[in-house]
Parts: sequence; structure tokens; C-alpha cells
Amino acid sequence: MRISVMFLALMLTSIGSIASADESPPGSRPDIIRIASGSRTLTLDPTRSWNSGDIETFGQLYSRLFRRDQAGNLQPGLAERWEMSADARTYTFHLRDARFSDGTPITADDVRFTLLRMRDDPEALYSEPVSGVVDVVAVDQRTVRVMLAEPNVPFLDTLEVCFLGITSRADVENRGPGKAFTEHPVTSGPYRVREWKPGDRLVLEANPYYWREGFPRNGGAELIEVIDANTRIAMLLAGEVDAIRQLGWSRAESFRAQGKVSVPLEPANLIWLILLNHAQPPFDDLRVRQAAALALDRQAMARVVLRNLGRVANTTMPASLDHHLADFPGWPYDLERARQLMAEAGAAGHEVVINIAAPSPQMELIGLILQAQWADIGLKTRIVKMDQGQEVQRLMDGDYNASINWWYNENPDPDLALRWAVCGSCGNRAYYTNYSNKEVDRLIAEAAREPDPALRRVLYQRVQRISTEEVAQIPLFYPPWVNAYSHAIEGLGMTPALQWTLENARHLR
Amino acid sequence: MSEQVIEMTSRPGVQADELPLNLKIGMAVVIAWVLLAVLAPWVTPADPNALDLDNVLQPPGAAGLMGTDQVGRDVFTRVVFAARIDLWIGFAGVVLPLLIGVTAGLFSGYFGGAADALLMRVVDITLAFPFFVLVLAIVAALGPGVGNLIIALALVGWVSYARLVRAEVMVIRNAEYIQAVRTLGFNRFYILFRHVMPNAMAPVIVYAMTDMLLVILAGAGLGFIGLGVQPPTAEWGAMIADGQPYIEEAWWISLFPGLAAISFGIGLSLIGDGLARMLRVSN
Amino acid sequence: MTRAYWLLQRLTQLLPVLLGISVICFALLQMIPGDPARIILGSRASPEAVAAMRDRLGLDQPALQQYLTYMSKVIRGDFGESISYKVPVSKLILEHAPVTGFLAVYVIALAVPIALILGMLAARYRGTWVDHLIRMLSVLGMTMPVFWLAILMLRLFSIDLGWFPVSGYGQGFLGHLHHLFLPAVSISIWMIPVLVRNLRASIVQQSVADYVLAGRAKGLTERHIFTHHILKNASLPTLNLFGVLVAYLIGGTVIVELVYALPGLGLLMFNAILGRDYPIIQGLTLFYALATVVITLVTDILSGLIDPRVKA
Repeated sequence: MRISVMFLALMLTSIGSIASADESPPGSRPDIIRIASGSRTLTLDPTRSWNSGDIETFGQLYSRLFRRDQAGNLQPGLAERWEMSADARTYTFHLRDARFSDGTPITADDVRFTLLRMRDDPEALYSEPVSGVVDVVAVDQRTVRVMLAEPNVPFLDTLEVCFLGITSRADVENRGPGKAFTEHPVTSGPYRVREWKPGDRLVLEANPYYWREGFPRNGGAELIEVIDANTRIAMLLAGEVDAIRQLGWSRAESFRAQGKVSVPLEPANLIWLILLNHAQPPFDDLRVRQAAALALDRQAMARVVLRNLGRVANTTMPASLDHHLADFPGWPYDLERARQLMAEAGAAGHEVVINIAAPSPQMELIGLILQAQWADIGLKTRIVKMDQGQEVQRLMDGDYNASINWWYNENPDPDLALRWAVCGSCGNRAYYTNYSNKEVDRLIAEAAREPDPALRRVLYQRVQRISTEEVAQIPLFYPPWVNAYSHAIEGLGMTPALQWTLENARHLR
Repeated sequence: MSEQVIEMTSRPGVQADELPLNLKIGMAVVIAWVLLAVLAPWVTPADPNALDLDNVLQPPGAAGLMGTDQVGRDVFTRVVFAARIDLWIGFAGVVLPLLIGVTAGLFSGYFGGAADALLMRVVDITLAFPFFVLVLAIVAALGPGVGNLIIALALVGWVSYARLVRAEVMVIRNAEYIQAVRTLGFNRFYILFRHVMPNAMAPVIVYAMTDMLLVILAGAGLGFIGLGVQPPTAEWGAMIADGQPYIEEAWWISLFPGLAAISFGIGLSLIGDGLARMLRVSN
Repeated sequence: MTRAYWLLQRLTQLLPVLLGISVICFALLQMIPGDPARIILGSRASPEAVAAMRDRLGLDQPALQQYLTYMSKVIRGDFGESISYKVPVSKLILEHAPVTGFLAVYVIALAVPIALILGMLAARYRGTWVDHLIRMLSVLGMTMPVFWLAILMLRLFSIDLGWFPVSGYGQGFLGHLHHLFLPAVSISIWMIPVLVRNLRASIVQQSVADYVLAGRAKGLTERHIFTHHILKNASLPTLNLFGVLVAYLIGGTVIVELVYALPGLGLLMFNAILGRDYPIIQGLTLFYALATVVITLVTDILSGLIDPRVKA
């Protein structure tokens, strides 16, 4: 016994002492920014994924025609200047003198290739927002003209979204998309890929040909996939990384108080909500949906689950987007009216299945609270926790009653957001809820063509009012991004559109 | 519970000829848990699933013996009610594979031949199959929940018993006393069950007690990817996992179910040791 | 001669096992709900995009045809391409295997000597405080959830003392040894008790066997009886258990890899299952099966060497 204890102690100290002998791990050079995220990088091809881990990386690899500054305003990107025709259907973009990471110039032809690939490739995911593009013409090396079928006011915002990062036509066609996006892709953004270890990390190095003078302000970055939140925190505290994604709502308060790391609570185009299946009883009945919304004490929910890090949601749209209907009361907690509506609908005693994707402690808590509060109006509930694959499948198949979910928008314009969340004729049956209101669909289409911001505002606010009153979904709250940063770096943050401001980051001396 | 156990077993020396003390203590612990599980509603008046959003994350004390969790449920009540589920998972999750595994191992080890070869291939295939793929497929096909979890665990778990028993039997069948019984002309099955099996069971029983613990922990691990018990069911492993994000500010959420599992584990292992000793004596 | 024949026989048995595994794996994947195309493209993908992907992956062909296509490629050494990453499965496995392999060997190197010592001590001094202490520690080791242990160890050794890194695999042999120490300890703490208890029970059982009495009667020393007879016979069931545990280690280190952010096979499998990346699951299953079968074979050969009576 004694021997083995000594043996253990010996092992511990001897291996511990290797620590000092061990060569410094890669990435400890001070100009490398290391980030641990729970999201995974699945692909380096910007046309192929909506996955949040990929959204976090696309923006670091590919520049767009426009970029967004710190204040959130649209600024010239690869397009130095642009003009719009009088009928608002033709845009002409003048490209700056910029190069890909292999040193070849970024031309009008590459822009054409990128836009048309997104529109036409059957597996391209962001095709809907560019489906109105009739044609793209490379006028000369540095001038490109885009023709639209009809005016599309948010078109420039769309061109800023990370999925429309400009890729090299020559490279993709020479190597084929398979190789071009897995083995050292040719990039147009602040970084290029030094090494990609799928399922582990993406090692980036500064792109020497990046068009923004003086950027990135660091030599490179490592985006490390770490699923477990406690591990991410330990890595940050041990100095193995400079920043972590998803600290966890429950931990934010105590970490802010401790002050060892900074937890800035950054605004996000984000909404947490409950999806209800309008095609199945009991939620096919408006009164039951209204009762379900009225029965929720969302203040209490925000306190217990979100720890008051964000506000209770009042409409079906994230509050950070333009034209949010801020003064709308939404659905207050009113048990009496909820019971009354349930009685009118004769729906008491109905069993409702709540789907939850595991593992998500937050969703589970929301599920428990839903269960307790819906029980107060006579809705019996069963929580079914399943792995994400099944959850997505059941959602898309319409095989569910209620599902706890969240979504975020890639830019501050409400167009895509509302098409996604409440439009019944935009391809996803209003986020698979089967909610459908012709008036809403018409207003969304009209607003996309409306050049006057004041009029657009009116239209979008009507959409929010109608869809919230009809309980297209039950909005829960608007959480911020809860990331944690080391005090040893500056300039790193996250935009509302889930983009790291990595090119601004550097270590403090 | 666990303090009591440690105190009593730390007494040195156990008389060999009385009923082993560790068996007695182990039985006492396990029976106590069984009683708690059966009498749960009388032990604690609270509802294990009742939320109280105005009293979340309250430390042990005024708000309850073991405090409250992140949605204000009483941790003590949940620990007690969880015993019902955990004891059932542990019991069914071990008995089922034990019966299958021991039977298979006995026949395979004793008779050998084609049946043995076939069984060993099945064992090889089962062993060689990644646990996650198998369990996910089974639970996904049958639906998540305790019953299907047990079926999934049994489909994987029997292999260990089969291998253990087979190895023992292959040694025992050549032992002198078995040869002797065989020359006396006894029926093969009589020899197998009367003479070979009792002698092959000691490691199985020791392992079964360990296994019961592993099964309970495996259930908790599967809960992580959503294949374990469904909320709001109280289960020790799930409670430990649920408390993880709160480990800094509310250690009690996962500590107490952890202690419950440990105390139950100590009881099981004491029984295992005691039984092993008794079986040896009866040889 | 007979041993060579036996070995040959075992090797020929390998083929049907691998074939059986590939069939069952394929069938299971058909059973799991969740369409890879939908999961990879995400809930915002249009039905057309999903259909295009399913078509490219051949997911709409009959299952039997999919299986045959897959196996004919496997025979030629082509395990296909990951659906999501679009890189060859063999490359992914080769990237992730060293971490898990190193970890498994590390665990064995840590756990086996300690388990042997503790098991023998417990058996030798059974009923005394030594035995009780070992048993109590064993129970604690087995019941302690891995992530508790990880949080405690990371807090102490990584953050406060700074001795060991939190995550990663390190560079070079010493780097691996250093980085994987805490993960290896985490697994060992759970594995040592299982081995100790089994070994102890076997030793205790063997020590009252007839041959021990016979040995004593012949005047052999206790030491000789213990090392040459008891330990040898007692190690047999433990060796079998050990085989099972090692096989388990290769695919069962998921939680540890998750907690210590190690890019090993367990994590690869975990992500592949959640993402329904069929080619990775199939390739890994076959790889895992091959490794397990080899380990089982080695265990059996070792059993045969220790005890010549064990032979099929």
C-alpha cells in the first residue's frame, strides 16, 4: 500500500516536472489568438452549411462585397463603390484591387462565380436570398453588374452575410469543390488555413494578401472545438485559450463578479422560443395557443433559466433587428384569461408532447417550467428528450406538438428573419410550425420592395403584431452572447451576427 | 448513511466462521435503500417534481435537508424518489444480462464444440460493436425511456458474464472432482448445474455487484445524450449531470445524489465480498 | 502444432465476425431515425437541397445495394468520405486513432501494476484494515463520476498548480505523456477497482484450492505456491476481464475525451453519431471491431500460455 502510494507520488511529481521540460505547446506564441467553442466546424465551403460553428469560421476566411463596422453599419468591402439603377433592379459594383490568399487578383468573374454558385448549385443553402438574381455580368476585370427580377431593398445587407464570401473561381474549378474546400482553400478574408483537423481544431494564419491594410492585427488563430463547458472554462482559466464561446447562462453572474475573466454579454440577433405545431390538435386552435402563451410566467422563466441576462421576448422577431416593435406588450402572464380560453376551446386534459434536443440543460429547464405552468391550465405534458438528429427530423416532418428552440439572424434586416420565422409560403412552413397567414406573407414580400424605411417599418411591425397575436410561435426571451475573454487580449468580441471580430484582436503586452 | 458504513467496517478483523460482517452491513445498507425507495412517499411528504421558482438554488437548511435545485425542487425528496428508479435500473440491468450470460457461458464452456464456437463469435461481434452505436440504434428504434435503456444495457452486458463463466467452466470441467463425478455416470446437466455452476459463480457474483454500479453509471452517461431517463424523472445520475452547470454556486444539487450513489455502491460491494466468502465456505 | 492450428482457426473465424459486424452496423444505421442529409444541411435547408444531397450520397437506393456498394469499396481499401467534412474516413480515423491508442496503453501501464499490487495486498491481508481500505477506495473510485473527478483535478493540477494541461494531446512522446496524464488517471481510477476486486476474489478462491494444500504437503514455500500456482490461476479470469476492458477502452473513452477535449476515436464516433455521418460510423465500427477481435485473440493466446488447459 505504502509502496504504491509512493509510486503514485513519484509518478505525479516526475511527470509534473516534465511540464517545465516540455516544449511550449503550439499556439502559445503571443500573436496567436486561441478560441475554444462548443460549436463544430463541419466544412470550409461557405455555400454548404448553416451550422453555427461554420458561421463562426466562414467570416474569418472569406471577404464579402460589404463589411459591417464596429457600430454595425454597412461599409465597403471588396466593393469599393456601387451604384443602383433608377428602377432599383440593377446594381453595379466596382471592386477594389484585392487578392486571394494565393496572390491571384479577386476579379469580377470571381464575384459572378460566387453569386451564381450560390443561386444554382442544388446543395447551396443560401440560395433563397439570391434567388431574385436574374443575371450577373462581369463588365470588366473590376466591375460587376447584378440584375434583379424586382427591387430588393435588403440586397446589400444580404451581400454582407458570411455565406456570400467571395471564393476563387479558378481554384474551385481546377481542384473541384471537394479538394478546394478541404485542403488549404484559397481565401479572400483575413486568414488562410494552416491546418484543419476535423473534429478537433482549425489552425489559421494571417492572409498576407488580405486587402485591409494592417489587418489582422495578430499572426493567426486557433479555433478549438471543446464540447464540455467546464473544460472550456478550465482552459480559459489555465491560460490555454484566450476566449471561450458559450460560458453558460448559469455561470455568467459569478464569473463577472470574480473578475478573473471578462464576460461582456454581447448583443445578439437571437431569440429563444417555443414552436407549436399548428397542423395538429390542440395547437391548431388559436385559443389554445393563446392560452399556452398566457399561462407562461416568462419573467420567472427568464429569471430562473436566463438569470436575467436578457429581456423577455415581446414579438416573434429578435429585438436587435431593425424595426422591432418595441412598445408592444406581447403576451403577459394571465392565468385567468388562459383558463377561460382553454374552457372555451374545450381543450383541457389534452396531452402535449414537448420535444427537446439533448444535451441542453437550458432547454430542459424550460421544458420543466412549461410542464408545470401548462399543468395550471389543464394541459398535460410529456417531455421527450432526444438527440439533435431526431429532433430536427421530427420538426421537419411535422411530427411534434411543441418544441423548444432558438434561431438567430445573419443581419439586422428583418426580411430574412421574418421569411424564416413566420412566412408560410417561403419554403419552411414558418419554421415548421405550419403557421400560414396570406396577409403576413404579402406584407413580407411588399416590405422587401419598399424603399422608404419609414414605410418598411410600418409593414414589418404589422407582421410582428399579427404573427405574435396569432401565436405563430411563443417567443420566450432575447439572450445575449455569453462569451468569456481573457484580460490579456483586446479587440476580440462577437457581433450580433455571430461573427468574431478576430482580425482586430491582439495580445496586450 | 455512508458515514455509518465506514465507521463500522473500519473495525479490524472479521471472524471467519460467523455470517460475514461485511455481508450484514452491506445488506443493511441495501435494504435501507430498498425501504427508502418503497416508502418514499411516507419518508418525505413533498412532491419530487414540484417546482418552486421563488425558491431556487437554496442551500441545505431552512429550505430543506439537502436544499433545492435550479427550479426549486427539493433535493432530498428527489434523492429518495430517485432510489426507486436507480434500484430498478440496477436490478433489472444486471439480472437480465446475468441470466443470459451465465447460461450461455455455462453451456459454451462445458460442452465446447460448434455451439461454443458459434457463441464465441456472437460474443466477439457484441464486444466488438461500439456501445454507443448499438444503444443509440436500439433506443432510437424503440424510443427513449427506462425500459428500453435496460434492454439496451442487457444486450451489451451479458457478454461479460458469458466470458467470465466460460473461462471458469473451462478450468473447472477438467478438475479432478468433476472427472470423478463424471466417471460415476451422472447426467451431464446434473453435473453442470450441481457441480460446475456453483464453483463458477464466485467471480460472477463479485462482478455482478460491481456491474450493478456500472449499469447505474452507464444510465447516467447515456442521459447526457438524451437516451437515459426522461425529465422530470428523478434519477441519481441525471441529477448529478443536471447539477453540473451549477457546481460553483450550488454544489448540493449534484453532491447529494452522488453520495447516495456512493453509499449504495458501498452496500453492493460489501454484499459482493460477503457473498464471495460465503460461497467459498460452502464449496 | 495444435497451437498453430488453433491460431489459424481463430484467424479464419475473424472474417465472419467482421462481415457480421458490417451487416449489423448497416442494418442498425437504417433503423436510427434522422436523415444525414437533413441533419448536415440543417433545418433551414430547402427540400431541393436535401434531395440533391440524398441523391449524391445514394441514400435513396435500396439498402442492400447501398451495402454492396459500400463493401465493394471497403474491400478495395476505400472507406469512403465523411458526409459532413468531405474528407476520407481513413484519414480521419488515422488522425484520431493515435490519441486513443496512446491513452489506452497509458491506462494499462498505470492501472495494471497498481491493480496487481493492490489486488495481491488485499487478498494477502484479507479481513484486515489493508483489505478494507483498498475496498473502500475501490468503491469510491468506481462511483465517482468522471466529470466530478475531472473538475476537481483540473482545478487543482491545472489551474492552481499548473502541473498538467487541461486539454489536448501535446507533441512528442513526453508531451503526450504530460498531456494525457489526467485523462489516464481518470480512467484508471475507475478501472483499477474493477480489476482489483476481480483479482482479489480469484486469489482468495484459488488459495483454498486442493493443489494449494497439495503444494503445502509437498513442502513448497508459501511464496512459491503463491507466485507459481495461485497467482497464475487467479490471473485467468482477470485476464479475460482485462481483455474486455481494453476493448472497451478503445471505443469507450468518449466521456473522458469529451471532458479533456482530446481528439480521439471516442469523440469522432460521438460526433459522427450525433451528425449521422454514416461513413464515419461504419468505418469506425469496422476499425473498432478489428481492434477488439485482435485484442480478444491476444487475450486468448495469453490465457492459453498461462493455463494449457484452456484450449478450444
